[in-house]
Amino acid sequence: MSIAQALPARATLTRGTQAALLVLMVAVVCRLLGGQWPWLVTWPTVLTVPMTEWMGTSVGWFLSVFKPIARAFSFLISFPMDWVSGLLGYAPWPLIVGGVTALGWMLGGVRMAALGAFGLGFVVLSGYWAESMNTLALVVVSVPLAMMSGLAIGILAFEYPRLKAPVQALLDVMQTVPTFAYLTPLLVLFGFGPVVGLIASAIYAAPPMARNVLLGLERVESDIREAAVMSGGTRRQQLFLVELPAATTQIMVGVNQCLMAALSMVIIAAVIGGFDDIGWEVLLTMRKALFGQAFLAGLVIVVFAIVIDRMSGALATRRRKQDRRVAWGILGVGVVISVWAVLAGWNPAEMAAFDGVADSVDAAVGGFTANHGATLDAVKNNAMFYGLLPLRIGLSDAVLPFTWGFQWEAWHSAVYYLVAVGIAGALIWSGRPAAGLVVVILMMMWEIGIAQLPWPMVIVGAGALGWVSGGWRLARLAVVLLSLILISGLWERALLSLYLSGSSVFACAIVGGALGLWAAVSVTAWRVLRPVCDLLQTIPLFVFLIPVLMFFQIGEFSAFLAICLYAVVPMIRYTRHGLITTPEEMIEAAKASGAGTWQVMFEVRAPYAAPTILLGLNQTILYAFAMLVIAALIGTTGLGQSIYLALGQADVGLGVTAGAAMAILALVADRLVQGFANERRRALGL
Amino acid sequence: MTETTRPAAAISVEGLWQVFGPNAATALRDARGAGTSSDIAKALADKEFIPAVREANFEVQSGELFVIMGLSGSGKSTLIRCISRLVEPTAGAVRIDGEDILQASEKRLIELRRHKLGMVFQHFGLFPHMTVADNVAFPLKMQGAGKTNRRKRALEVIELVGLSGREDAYPRELSGGQRQRVGIARSLAVNPDIWFLDEPFSALDPLIRRQLQDEFLHIQATLKKSIVFITHDITEALKLADRIAIMKDGEIVQIGTPEEIVLRPVNDYVAEFSKDVAKGKHACVESVMTRDVPDNMPDDPGLRPGMTLDTALAKCMSLYEPVPVRDESGMVIGAVQPSDLAAALQVEET
Repeated sequence: MSIAQALPARATLTRGTQAALLVLMVAVVCRLLGGQWPWLVTWPTVLTVPMTEWMGTSVGWFLSVFKPIARAFSFLISFPMDWVSGLLGYAPWPLIVGGVTALGWMLGGVRMAALGAFGLGFVVLSGYWAESMNTLALVVVSVPLAMMSGLAIGILAFEYPRLKAPVQALLDVMQTVPTFAYLTPLLVLFGFGPVVGLIASAIYAAPPMARNVLLGLERVESDIREAAVMSGGTRRQQLFLVELPAATTQIMVGVNQCLMAALSMVIIAAVIGGFDDIGWEVLLTMRKALFGQAFLAGLVIVVFAIVIDRMSGALATRRRKQDRRVAWGILGVGVVISVWAVLAGWNPAEMAAFDGVADSVDAAVGGFTANHGATLDAVKNNAMFYGLLPLRIGLSDAVLPFTWGFQWEAWHSAVYYLVAVGIAGALIWSGRPAAGLVVVILMMMWEIGIAQLPWPMVIVGAGALGWVSGGWRLARLAVVLLSLILISGLWERALLSLYLSGSSVFACAIVGGALGLWAAVSVTAWRVLRPVCDLLQTIPLFVFLIPVLMFFQIGEFSAFLAICLYAVVPMIRYTRHGLITTPEEMIEAAKASGAGTWQVMFEVRAPYAAPTILLGLNQTILYAFAMLVIAALIGTTGLGQSIYLALGQADVGLGVTAGAAMAILALVADRLVQGFANERRRALGL
Repeated sequence: MTETTRPAAAISVEGLWQVFGPNAATALRDARGAGTSSDIAKALADKEFIPAVREANFEVQSGELFVIMGLSGSGKSTLIRCISRLVEPTAGAVRIDGEDILQASEKRLIELRRHKLGMVFQHFGLFPHMTVADNVAFPLKMQGAGKTNRRKRALEVIELVGLSGREDAYPRELSGGQRQRVGIARSLAVNPDIWFLDEPFSALDPLIRRQLQDEFLHIQATLKKSIVFITHDITEALKLADRIAIMKDGEIVQIGTPEEIVLRPVNDYVAEFSKDVAKGKHACVESVMTRDVPDNMPDDPGLRPGMTLDTALAKCMSLYEPVPVRDESGMVIGAVQPSDLAAALQVEET
């Protein structure tokens, strides 16, 4: 090949070039010989290890051993559960609204009090009061569990440095394993019922707490620490009287994240059903295609999320002391109205102030889809036929006469590859061999389709990326973990997941990068984007499905949109943050050298921001994987679907293996991108 | 404005104000009626505006090394950023070779920066993702110069600052002193006429600082740029400057040669600065000389008006014979040459 001949002319090849060359050679071999030897493309079924069954048997055995204990725990925890939900369910609503408003006053004065009053007022009027209280009860019971265990884990990891690495690995796993995947074994273990949701949300909400506790303790200034030692405190006194109080702000950030994670998981756990909460309401109305009602219930969730987030967020900021008497006053008003409400027999369940709104939303959406159905379909079909489908099954299969107007023949491939080699040649000529090779590899992936990539190419590719970004250790990790998926028989589904999350991440990177750039150059743009970003990050995953379903029905494109909506936010935030935090002096130096605004942007700010932007991409990838599983509800293929199916059939083996495969994909992607970010940071001397 | 007979000063600053706060320009216009510049500043400060530079007026002649000295927060960094228009001044005029750059369009400003102005920063402002040569060549790249020309010129300037051999290193691999050499090289790459230096040596160790000051003087001796140099260190100012402007609370309180600053401070604030400075090194015989010549002057040590006081003192002392030094019992154990006493008191030339 011309590339191979051109290369030895250069004396030394960089690591990136060597890796790209290796991947390209593997890919070319697979592409050329795949026809004769199919095992080069698809892993032979004979060699597949029935990991799912093994997992099913072993985990099943394990679960059966612990089942009695778990059931006993389930029985015990059902008491506080019942008390709380009874308390919240039977307490007159004005009392709870008054209580939350008073709490808001204490936390942040008039603004927070107003947020509490209007937020809960909306919930009362929506008619979803009882369902909301059920959801709240789950959160109220699971959060203390999560906070206590998070605090304990954080303190332990801090006190015993040897534990720190394994604890952090455990936290990574707890957060990368998709939310649905928890549910199946928990379902078997704890039995059908709300306790599963409770335990799942406690497991899901503990890691952010633990992380922030650890971070907060590590950040306590050594002066403060040493002052405590020199005052003669015992280790326990130092920890509880000095270090933990000094770390309060960071721990409060943990409390905020813990609450939000718990709420998100409680809503997701509604798919198990059996508990009349607000998440279940959304799911039910969504299944019945009552989008107006689903929208309204979704809004209730959003309002809840905003109230909880802003109020607990106020914990982590410096705040003024509020007058207690006002809080008592508000509570008093709540009691008075309660008495009146009980005497008058107001039942919040009969409230339906917004049913008209729901109906008109329904009508409006119905009208819109009826009038613009053709446009919506065109958007969807174009995106599918010209964007997503070729990425999935490759140009060679996706280009068909009835969509593209012609049939992709062998000679198309020949011309296509000739162009690829041409571009690569030009890049190599201009002194960028690695970029040239990567272009050929990417164009090859496009022609073959991500879901049909030969397995050696994927595994060698991941290994090569690992080697370039983090050395042999990372390469080995990537290869071993991906090989596990390969031999487990979940490979094809994994590639489908990879395709959908990959294409969403790609779209997010472009759109989010552009929006982040825009927000970095224009203050007005950020003023508009910021509340949108805040809102999108507060909304529980589940709710993203409602608007896309309204307009695009069930299907892959809707899933793609939902993932993008959720995963684009970190990309915007990190891009902007990276671009605007370039040291002022560096920008002045560029300006004083005569650089214009855009020259400063691309010559100085962008390279300096690269590590931060890569971290944003990393977050976007993790968000995309998290959403991928939720999006299985509205029709995706791949691992997400398997996890969801396993939940329905209580198939522990499939649920756990598919969940593990998903976690592996997320983990490998996470490590690779972080490797590149660290490499960039080292190169910048940061 | 400019007379045809006299060439315009390299830089001339007239009535320059920098006020921070919303709608500062309007606020300043409204406050103008208050009277003197300090009255205006007070009126502005009362309305929560921050008058960082008040009514600055000075000229820098071609080839002159003009130092602006002041403590942190005195507005000197803001002033140099106004002159280079890295921040937009609120009012006033800054003329560079007669052209008011505050009226210049963005395009013209970029043009000026690419060809006429160079700037060195306190914390170097190097680009971490570029090698030394790429950093130095950055202004040339902005000019649109070709790759080979850029490299050639970059190597020249790198040699000038004594960094030959390190051109392919990255900033993170250099020491502080080496980094600032890169900063200096970068600011000289386009061979600017006007050179701004914002506390270039303040972040360095004393030894390195002195070494770089000497090299800087050496470079200036050959290149003869028109320089605005910012510092908070009076010794550095006295050592380098042709003229010094002393700033306090955004105001220039005195402009003068090092000698004038040391010997004739306009107020206690300036006097406070020069208190610790060895006056003998900066003041000349002329400044203590009287014009009424006495009749009887038998000794003539050969004084000249431009001689420093230190030198003059040594010359005078050399007229005396050696004197004895005795121990406690009164025995003569040695002798001292009075001129050596005078020489020992002098601050060593750095």
